[in-house]
Parts: sequence; C-alpha cells; structure tokens
Amino acid sequence: MNIEEGKKLHGILEERPLPVYKVAPRTLLHRTRREVLLFGIGAVASLTVSGFLLPQNTLSRLGAGRNTNSSWKEWFLNSALRIDDDVAEALYSGNRRVPTYTKCQTTSLKNNYNGATPDPGYISGWNLTLNGLASGLSLSLDIRSLLTRFSLHEQITRLVCVEGWSAIAWWAGLRFEDLLLAYPPMSQAKWARVESSVNLDASGNPDPYFMSLDLATARHPQTLLATHFNGQSLTVDHGAPLRLLVPVKLGLKNVKAITSITYVTEEPRDYWAEQGYSRYDGI
Amino acid sequence: MSRSIPPDCEPNTTGTLPKQSRVLVVRRHHFLVRWSHWLNLPILLGLILSGVSIYWASPIYQHKPDPHTGNVDLAVDIGIWICAHVPGQHQYSSPPDWIYNHLSLGPGMLAVALRLHWLCAYSLMLNGMVYVLGLVMGGGWRSLLPRRTDLLDALRMLRYYLGFPFAKLAHRKWLHPLFNTKYNALQRAAYFAVPVAGFLSVATGWAIHKPMQLYWLAALFGGYNVARAWHFWLMWVYILFVVPHVILVFSDEWDTLRSMIVGWSARVEAEKVVANEH
Repeated sequence: MNIEEGKKLHGILEERPLPVYKVAPRTLLHRTRREVLLFGIGAVASLTVSGFLLPQNTLSRLGAGRNTNSSWKEWFLNSALRIDDDVAEALYSGNRRVPTYTKCQTTSLKNNYNGATPDPGYISGWNLTLNGLASGLSLSLDIRSLLTRFSLHEQITRLVCVEGWSAIAWWAGLRFEDLLLAYPPMSQAKWARVESSVNLDASGNPDPYFMSLDLATARHPQTLLATHFNGQSLTVDHGAPLRLLVPVKLGLKNVKAITSITYVTEEPRDYWAEQGYSRYDGI
Repeated sequence: MSRSIPPDCEPNTTGTLPKQSRVLVVRRHHFLVRWSHWLNLPILLGLILSGVSIYWASPIYQHKPDPHTGNVDLAVDIGIWICAHVPGQHQYSSPPDWIYNHLSLGPGMLAVALRLHWLCAYSLMLNGMVYVLGLVMGGGWRSLLPRRTDLLDALRMLRYYLGFPFAKLAHRKWLHPLFNTKYNALQRAAYFAVPVAGFLSVATGWAIHKPMQLYWLAALFGGYNVARAWHFWLMWVYILFVVPHVILVFSDEWDTLRSMIVGWSARVEAEKVVANEH
C-alpha cells in the first residue's frame, strides 16, 4: 500500500464531526414527542411479550398467579424450536464425517439412563424386530446373526448430551446403512422409529423409549448399531446388546437396548420431543 | 434529523422567525442503532436467564461429589453458603437452588430454557445485524474504532472516574479530561468490545450447538468443552459492561440518556453547522 492509498484509507476510517442542524424548537418538540411515544410503545410491548413468554414455573415462583399458558404461546415457542431444527437439517451433510479421536483421548461415559437401569435378564431372550420393510414381512434377528452377517466397524467419536456434557468413547458395531441394504425399507419410507421396550421409568416400571430418526442420518457412514464399547461387548449400562450410535445427533437419539426398528413414511413420535425438546436434534 | 415531516406540520411562522429562535442539535444515534440498543435489554436478559438454567443441567465448574449430598455443582455450594451467611436468607426453603431460583428461570427446566434460549439467540443475531446496519447507515461505526492514543486516554479517563468520588468528598475541583470525539477512549473501548463479545458469543454458541457439522468452529475455540467455557465467560462481559454503563449514564447529564431515545443531542459545537433544517 503506498502513502496515497494509506491516506485515503485513513480518511475513510477517520471519525467525522456529528452533523449539526438548526431546528425550529417546535419541530424539535414534535419529533422528540414522536420518538418518546414510539419508545414508550416499544417498551410496553416488549415488557408484555417478555412476561408472556416466561415459563409458568418461573412466573409462579415470582408470585404471579396468572396462568399465561396458552396454545398461542406454545405455538410461538415451538416455532423457535422448529426453525432451529430446520437450520440443523440444512447444516447436515451426508458426506461430512464427524471428528474421530485416538484411544488415549477417550473419557469416561456415565450411564445416563433417565429412569432405572433395566435388569440384565432381558439380554438372553433379546431380539431385534424389523418392520416396514420392502418385503412387507416382519423380521426378527438375534444378536448372533447380526454379528455373523455384518462386518463390524470401530469408531472413536464424541457423544454430546443435550444437557451439555460430552464423552469420547471407543465403539464398534455394524453400520446402520448395511442393515438398510440387507433388509431394505419400503420405498416411500423416510423415517425410522427406533424403540427400546425394555426401558424403565424412575420407579422401575416399563416406559418404552422411542425415537424418530430420518433415514438420511441413518445412512451416514458413522451411524452405527453398536455392539461393543471399549473393545468388549456392551454392558447393560450402555444398552446391551445393541444400541444406536449416531454422533451427528444429540445423545438422546442414541437409543440403548434397541428392540425394534420400524420404517415409516411420516415422522414418528419422539420420546423427548413430546416433553418439549427439539425433534431433529442434529448437531 | 430525517426530513419526513410534511411541510404542513411546520409552524407557519417559520420563515419570519429570527435566526436566534432556532436551536442547534446534532444527530447522535441512527434510529436503527437506538432500537437495536434497547432491544438488547430483553434479549440479553432472556439469554442470561435461560442460559443459567441450561448451565444447571450440566455445570462446567464441578468438584468431587459431596459425601453427604452428592452435589458436584459450585453454583449449588454458593447458594448454600448464601443461605447460611447472608442475613434474611436463613429461612430460604431450598438453599441448593438459591442461585438458580434467583439468577435463572429456575432449576430443572432444561427443555423450556433451551426453547427460550434459541428464540432469544436468533433474535440477538437479527438484532445484531440491525445494529450494524444502523452503524453503517448513520456512519456511527467510525466513532467506535480504536485509536492509537486510546490506551493513554483510557487510563486518563479511568483516573478521572476513580478520583471523582474522592474529589467530591473533599470539595475539590476534578476536571473531566478533554476530548473532541463522540466518545472518550474508555467509552470507545467498551462500545467496541461489546459488539465483539456479541459476535464471539454467537460464534461460540454455534460451536457448542452444532459441534459436529461446525466442528472447525469448535476447534477454533479449543474444542467443544473449551468453547462451552468461552460461551459462559462471555456472559460476564455483558454483566460487567452493563453495571458501569448504567451507573455512568445516570450520573451523566440527561442529554446522554435522552439521545439514545430521541436520537439528537444538544451538545453542539456551533461552527460545524451542516444544514438548516425547516
């Protein structure tokens, strides 16, 4: 850059004196009144909207007995979730791989079962049921046939929980894509409903866990049906004998102890979306 | 001032008024800057309250589980300490929740907090764009750029602010440092730093929101876990900015606060008149 250009650049960046105007006092009064009025309307409007959007729990704690829950409020807040889900879907690329790590970078992974951990008794009689297949049949596969039929892939990836914590773990399992190729879903299917019927609630009662998974994500090369953790067969804590491992989604989509996969055309129900969380959950 | 007022609203005596009856004003803040400035207030408040609720679900600052309670969260310890030592808080029903009940939407509200956080986050990004647009349209961005002399001038201002209360108490004269720019060096540093912090908050927010698709962004901040810490500490920039910002604007002349509402300021250097406005 020569001196001439340098001076020019300096001239662009240089602060200029504030523009001064001569105004008739009445004109100034009119304009000021208009601006103050607009400001007041804006302040009242944003106070009203903020108070209206605050969660009912927070309002009750603040001593406001009024119930602000309404279908309109739900609709408005859920559209923020939907916009965010649409952004996540737009960001997703089937070709983009998530970062992988080395074995010495792994961290401990806690058992984050929301309710009680199931009794391992279910494992011996475990079967994976497939529905919504192109053949129109309902298939039942045991773990041995899965392990002999499909090749296992190792993967050290990060699992990110909606709560904010994350863990890097060493997994192995079959590719979901391989399962889709071996047992193709019906042609119009866009979604998989992944379910665990052995899931329990906090007091130990059956509480089936079900998740929606779009087939585009299911076909991602790093989406596994994991059978191994840290080089050994999955333990009951981590969803023995088969769990979903989908690192491009939040941890809550990584269903443990999968008992059935059903391919469907319409977006299926989703355990956590029904409790106010997002439903696409791409990260 | 915009020329949006139709001529028939003007006082009909305008033409005959002597020149002295006109007042001199400067255009200080573009209306987009003013509106986005005030909208930041509810948006940032919403982001902080929902953000602390989200923090509750998985605190960054944890210690080994307490042998009695199993607690790991430093914010819970602080709440318990407050209830034990701060007068008037001894009867508080749930000391572990004190921080979250007072400084967030509340504990155990992750789904609700996330939903509000996304709403406010998208609003903040839109509002930030409006602010930048207002800075460009009104030319105000030039007044925010750092100068070579700023460090020394900022120290001079700091000395003035620190000495001000003592000078008042001692009934001594304490002169405000002179400057001929829109902002003094300390203001400029603050008003430059806050939009930068806003940009970093948005960037770290995306990094921890989409750590797989935008893993390069998370890597830029030192990885997922470090980006979470960045995002947390950037919140403190706004809190640390707002406190002196509000104190100073109220201790300054009324003109300063008014100009952020009406746009004009009566602090004029007369020789710089650029236009007669009717």
